[in-house]
Amino acid sequence: MRAKLTAAVSTVAMIVMLGASASALFADDSPEIRFQGGRFEPAVLTLPVNTPTKLRVVNAGDAAIEFESFELNRERVVQPGQAITVYIPALGSGSYGFFDDLHHAVPAGKIVVR
Amino acid sequence: MRWPARLFISASALVIAAQLIRPERVNPPVHGDLSAPPAIKEMLSRACYDCHSNQTKWPWYSAIAPMSWWVYRDVERGRQPLNFSNWSDYAADPGTMNEKLDKMAKLLDSGAMPPWWYRELHPESRLTFSDRDAILRWIGVARDPHAQADSVYYPEPSQ
Repeated sequence: MRAKLTAAVSTVAMIVMLGASASALFADDSPEIRFQGGRFEPAVLTLPVNTPTKLRVVNAGDAAIEFESFELNRERVVQPGQAITVYIPALGSGSYGFFDDLHHAVPAGKIVVR
Repeated sequence: MRWPARLFISASALVIAAQLIRPERVNPPVHGDLSAPPAIKEMLSRACYDCHSNQTKWPWYSAIAPMSWWVYRDVERGRQPLNFSNWSDYAADPGTMNEKLDKMAKLLDSGAMPPWWYRELHPESRLTFSDRDAILRWIGVARDPHAQADSVYYPEPSQ
Protein backbone atom coordinates (compact mmCIF):
# COMPACT_ATOMS: atom_id res chain seq x y z
CA MET A 1 0.00 0.00 0.00
CA ARG A 2 2.80 2.38 1.02
CA ALA A 3 4.78 1.51 -2.09
CA LYS A 4 1.74 2.25 -4.25
CA LEU A 5 1.25 5.60 -2.51
CA THR A 6 4.90 6.51 -3.00
CA ALA A 7 4.67 5.58 -6.68
CA ALA A 8 1.51 7.65 -7.10
CA VAL A 9 3.06 10.69 -5.39
CA SER A 10 6.23 10.33 -7.48
CA THR A 11 4.18 10.09 -10.67
CA VAL A 12 2.16 13.20 -9.79
CA ALA A 13 5.35 15.08 -8.87
CA MET A 14 6.96 14.05 -12.15
CA ILE A 15 3.93 15.19 -14.14
CA VAL A 16 3.93 18.54 -12.33
CA MET A 17 7.68 19.00 -12.95
CA LEU A 18 7.37 18.06 -16.61
CA GLY A 19 4.49 20.45 -17.03
CA ALA A 20 6.40 23.26 -15.35
CA SER A 21 9.52 22.76 -17.45
CA ALA A 22 7.46 22.51 -20.65
CA SER A 23 5.63 25.72 -19.87
CA ALA A 24 8.97 27.39 -19.09
CA LEU A 25 10.36 26.13 -22.39
CA PHE A 26 7.48 27.36 -24.49
CA ALA A 27 6.57 30.45 -22.50
CA ASP A 28 6.40 33.33 -24.92
CA ASP A 29 7.44 36.19 -22.71
CA SER A 30 9.25 38.12 -25.46
CA PRO A 31 8.70 41.84 -25.14
CA GLU A 32 6.42 43.12 -27.84
CA ILE A 33 6.00 46.33 -29.76
CA ARG A 34 2.69 46.55 -31.57
CA PHE A 35 1.89 48.96 -34.38
CA GLN A 36 -1.78 49.85 -34.44
CA GLY A 37 -3.88 52.95 -34.83
CA GLY A 38 -0.99 54.73 -36.54
CA ARG A 39 1.42 54.44 -33.62
CA PHE A 40 3.75 52.11 -31.79
CA GLU A 41 2.58 50.68 -28.49
CA PRO A 42 4.25 50.96 -26.15
CA ALA A 43 6.04 54.05 -27.37
CA VAL A 44 8.66 53.48 -24.68
CA LEU A 45 9.76 49.92 -23.99
CA THR A 46 12.10 49.15 -21.12
CA LEU A 47 14.59 46.29 -21.44
CA PRO A 48 17.11 44.98 -18.92
CA VAL A 49 20.73 45.92 -19.33
CA ASN A 50 23.22 43.40 -20.79
CA THR A 51 20.50 40.94 -21.78
CA PRO A 52 20.06 39.70 -25.35
CA THR A 53 16.39 39.95 -26.27
CA LYS A 54 14.08 38.59 -28.91
CA LEU A 55 11.80 41.52 -29.60
CA ARG A 56 8.48 40.75 -31.21
CA VAL A 57 7.19 43.43 -33.55
CA VAL A 58 3.56 43.07 -34.59
CA ASN A 59 1.93 45.07 -37.34
CA ALA A 60 -1.78 45.24 -36.52
CA GLY A 61 -2.28 48.06 -39.00
CA ASP A 62 -3.49 47.80 -42.58
CA ALA A 63 -0.30 48.91 -44.33
CA ALA A 64 3.28 47.69 -44.30
CA ILE A 65 5.64 49.38 -41.85
CA GLU A 66 9.41 49.46 -41.61
CA PHE A 67 10.63 49.10 -38.07
CA GLU A 68 13.98 50.91 -38.11
CA SER A 69 16.51 51.95 -35.52
CA PHE A 70 19.80 53.62 -36.38
CA GLU A 71 21.06 53.18 -32.84
CA LEU A 72 20.27 49.46 -32.80
CA ASN A 73 21.27 48.89 -36.43
CA ARG A 74 17.97 47.20 -37.12
CA GLU A 75 15.67 47.54 -40.13
CA ARG A 76 12.74 45.26 -40.83
CA VAL A 77 9.70 45.49 -43.03
CA VAL A 78 6.57 44.14 -41.34
CA GLN A 79 3.61 43.40 -43.55
CA PRO A 80 0.07 44.02 -42.25
CA GLY A 81 -0.97 41.22 -39.93
CA GLN A 82 2.60 39.95 -39.69
CA ALA A 83 4.69 39.48 -36.55
CA ILE A 84 8.46 39.32 -36.74
CA THR A 85 11.25 38.64 -34.28
CA VAL A 86 14.04 41.18 -34.06
CA TYR A 87 17.18 40.00 -32.34
CA ILE A 88 18.51 42.64 -29.98
CA PRO A 89 22.01 42.09 -28.59
CA ALA A 90 23.04 42.70 -24.99
CA LEU A 91 22.91 46.48 -24.62
CA GLY A 92 24.39 48.99 -22.26
CA SER A 93 22.09 51.34 -20.42
CA GLY A 94 20.73 54.14 -22.55
CA SER A 95 17.98 55.13 -24.92
CA TYR A 96 17.65 53.65 -28.40
CA GLY A 97 15.19 55.25 -30.78
CA PHE A 98 13.09 53.50 -33.41
CA PHE A 99 10.68 54.72 -36.07
CA ASP A 100 8.61 53.70 -39.08
CA ASP A 101 10.74 54.49 -42.10
CA LEU A 102 7.77 54.13 -44.44
CA HIS A 103 5.64 56.68 -42.58
CA HIS A 104 7.66 59.49 -41.07
CA ALA A 105 4.54 61.08 -39.57
CA VAL A 106 4.26 58.13 -37.18
CA PRO A 107 5.57 59.18 -33.75
CA ALA A 108 8.96 57.64 -33.03
CA GLY A 109 9.40 55.35 -30.07
CA LYS A 110 12.34 54.37 -27.94
CA ILE A 111 13.76 51.41 -26.12
CA VAL A 112 15.15 52.34 -22.74
CA VAL A 113 17.73 49.95 -21.36
CA ARG A 114 18.46 50.05 -17.65
CA MET B 1 32.99 102.09 -53.72
CA ARG B 2 31.15 100.55 -56.65
CA TRP B 3 28.59 97.79 -56.08
CA PRO B 4 30.67 94.95 -57.67
CA ALA B 5 33.48 95.68 -55.24
CA ARG B 6 31.07 95.81 -52.30
CA LEU B 7 29.52 92.52 -53.40
CA PHE B 8 32.95 90.89 -53.73
CA ILE B 9 34.06 92.08 -50.29
CA SER B 10 30.78 90.95 -48.69
CA ALA B 11 30.95 87.53 -50.32
CA SER B 12 34.59 87.12 -49.28
CA ALA B 13 33.72 88.07 -45.71
CA LEU B 14 30.90 85.53 -45.70
CA VAL B 15 33.14 82.75 -47.00
CA ILE B 16 35.82 83.60 -44.41
CA ALA B 17 33.23 83.68 -41.62
CA ALA B 18 31.82 80.35 -42.81
CA GLN B 19 35.18 78.72 -42.11
CA LEU B 20 34.50 79.21 -38.39
CA ILE B 21 31.76 76.58 -38.60
CA ARG B 22 33.76 73.40 -39.04
CA PRO B 23 31.97 70.06 -38.73
CA GLU B 24 34.25 67.47 -37.21
CA ARG B 25 35.41 64.92 -39.76
CA VAL B 26 35.42 61.73 -37.73
CA ASN B 27 35.95 58.10 -38.65
CA PRO B 28 34.63 56.13 -35.67
CA PRO B 29 36.10 52.69 -34.88
CA VAL B 30 35.11 49.81 -37.17
CA HIS B 31 33.09 47.27 -35.15
CA GLY B 32 32.63 44.48 -37.64
CA ASP B 33 33.33 45.27 -41.25
CA LEU B 34 31.54 43.63 -44.17
CA SER B 35 32.81 40.17 -44.96
CA ALA B 36 32.74 39.56 -48.70
CA PRO B 37 34.99 38.18 -51.46
CA PRO B 38 37.92 40.56 -52.09
CA ALA B 39 36.72 41.59 -55.57
CA ILE B 40 33.25 42.50 -54.26
CA LYS B 41 34.69 44.32 -51.31
CA GLU B 42 37.00 46.31 -53.56
CA MET B 43 34.05 47.46 -55.69
CA LEU B 44 31.93 48.39 -52.69
CA SER B 45 34.89 50.16 -51.06
CA ARG B 46 35.53 52.46 -53.98
CA ALA B 47 31.85 53.06 -54.80
CA CYS B 48 30.18 53.19 -51.39
CA TYR B 49 32.55 53.31 -48.43
CA ASP B 50 33.11 57.09 -48.39
CA CYS B 51 29.52 57.66 -47.27
CA HIS B 52 28.51 54.22 -45.99
CA SER B 53 31.34 53.22 -43.66
CA ASN B 54 33.57 54.52 -40.90
CA GLN B 55 36.47 54.45 -43.36
CA THR B 56 35.63 57.69 -45.15
CA LYS B 57 38.41 59.19 -47.26
CA TRP B 58 37.64 62.84 -46.62
CA PRO B 59 38.37 64.80 -49.81
CA TRP B 60 40.33 68.06 -49.69
CA TYR B 61 37.20 70.13 -50.28
CA SER B 62 35.61 68.63 -47.17
CA ALA B 63 37.81 71.03 -45.17
CA ILE B 64 36.43 74.14 -46.84
CA ALA B 65 33.03 75.64 -46.07
CA PRO B 66 30.43 75.52 -47.46
CA MET B 67 31.41 72.25 -49.22
CA SER B 68 32.46 70.82 -45.84
CA TRP B 69 28.88 71.15 -44.56
CA TRP B 70 27.53 69.35 -47.61
CA VAL B 71 30.07 66.50 -47.39
CA TYR B 72 29.55 66.13 -43.64
CA ARG B 73 25.78 65.95 -44.07
CA ASP B 74 26.09 63.35 -46.84
CA VAL B 75 28.40 61.14 -44.78
CA GLU B 76 26.17 61.42 -41.73
CA ARG B 77 23.03 60.62 -43.73
CA GLY B 78 24.83 57.78 -45.49
CA ARG B 79 26.12 56.09 -42.37
CA GLN B 80 22.75 56.05 -40.63
CA PRO B 81 20.83 53.67 -42.90
CA LEU B 82 23.81 51.63 -44.14
CA ASN B 83 27.21 51.42 -42.52
CA PHE B 84 29.45 48.62 -43.75
CA SER B 85 31.61 49.08 -40.65
CA ASN B 86 28.68 47.84 -38.54
CA TRP B 87 27.93 44.85 -40.75
CA SER B 88 28.35 42.29 -37.97
CA ASP B 89 25.56 44.10 -36.11
CA TYR B 90 23.26 43.69 -39.10
CA ALA B 91 24.27 40.04 -39.49
CA ALA B 92 23.26 39.36 -35.88
CA ASP B 93 19.67 39.88 -37.01
CA PRO B 94 19.43 38.01 -40.34
CA GLY B 95 16.19 39.77 -41.30
CA THR B 96 17.97 43.13 -41.00
CA MET B 97 20.92 41.89 -43.04
CA ASN B 98 18.59 40.70 -45.79
CA GLU B 99 16.80 44.03 -45.75
CA LYS B 100 20.09 45.92 -46.16
CA LEU B 101 21.14 43.60 -48.99
CA ASP B 102 17.79 43.97 -50.74
CA LYS B 103 17.95 47.74 -50.59
CA MET B 104 21.52 47.70 -51.88
CA ALA B 105 20.39 45.52 -54.79
CA LYS B 106 17.50 47.81 -55.59
CA LEU B 107 19.60 50.99 -55.53
CA LEU B 108 22.51 49.50 -57.47
CA ASP B 109 20.23 47.89 -60.03
CA SER B 110 18.40 51.15 -60.66
CA GLY B 111 21.65 53.12 -60.90
CA ALA B 112 20.55 55.42 -58.08
CA MET B 113 23.71 54.54 -56.15
CA PRO B 114 26.32 55.85 -56.18
CA PRO B 115 24.63 59.20 -56.97
CA TRP B 116 25.50 60.76 -60.35
CA TRP B 117 27.17 63.80 -58.83
CA TYR B 118 29.37 61.60 -56.64
CA ARG B 119 30.38 59.57 -59.71
CA GLU B 120 31.31 62.84 -61.46
CA LEU B 121 33.44 64.01 -58.52
CA HIS B 122 34.94 60.56 -57.92
CA PRO B 123 35.32 58.72 -61.24
CA GLU B 124 36.81 55.72 -59.46
CA SER B 125 33.40 55.13 -57.86
CA ARG B 126 31.78 54.28 -61.18
CA LEU B 127 30.60 50.70 -61.46
CA THR B 128 30.55 48.92 -64.80
CA PHE B 129 27.67 46.66 -65.80
CA SER B 130 29.79 43.64 -64.96
CA ASP B 131 30.65 45.17 -61.56
CA ARG B 132 26.94 45.58 -60.83
CA ASP B 133 26.17 42.07 -61.98
CA ALA B 134 28.92 40.65 -59.76
CA ILE B 135 27.61 42.56 -56.73
CA LEU B 136 24.00 41.51 -57.44
CA ARG B 137 25.06 37.87 -57.74
CA TRP B 138 26.97 38.13 -54.46
CA ILE B 139 23.91 39.68 -52.79
CA GLY B 140 21.85 36.70 -53.94
CA VAL B 141 24.32 34.37 -52.25
CA ALA B 142 24.84 36.48 -49.13
CA ARG B 143 21.15 36.66 -48.20
CA ASP B 144 20.23 34.38 -45.33
CA PRO B 145 17.60 32.02 -46.78
CA HIS B 146 16.43 30.99 -43.31
CA ALA B 147 15.56 34.49 -42.20
CA GLN B 148 11.98 35.63 -42.33
CA ALA B 149 11.13 36.94 -45.77
CA ASP B 150 10.58 40.62 -45.14
CA SER B 151 11.28 42.15 -48.47
CA VAL B 152 9.91 41.51 -51.91
CA TYR B 153 12.64 42.80 -54.20
CA TYR B 154 14.84 40.16 -55.78
CA PRO B 155 16.53 41.56 -58.88
CA GLU B 156 17.67 39.14 -61.55
CA PRO B 157 21.28 39.81 -62.56
CA SER B 158 21.59 39.95 -66.34
CA GLN B 159 23.30 36.94 -67.92
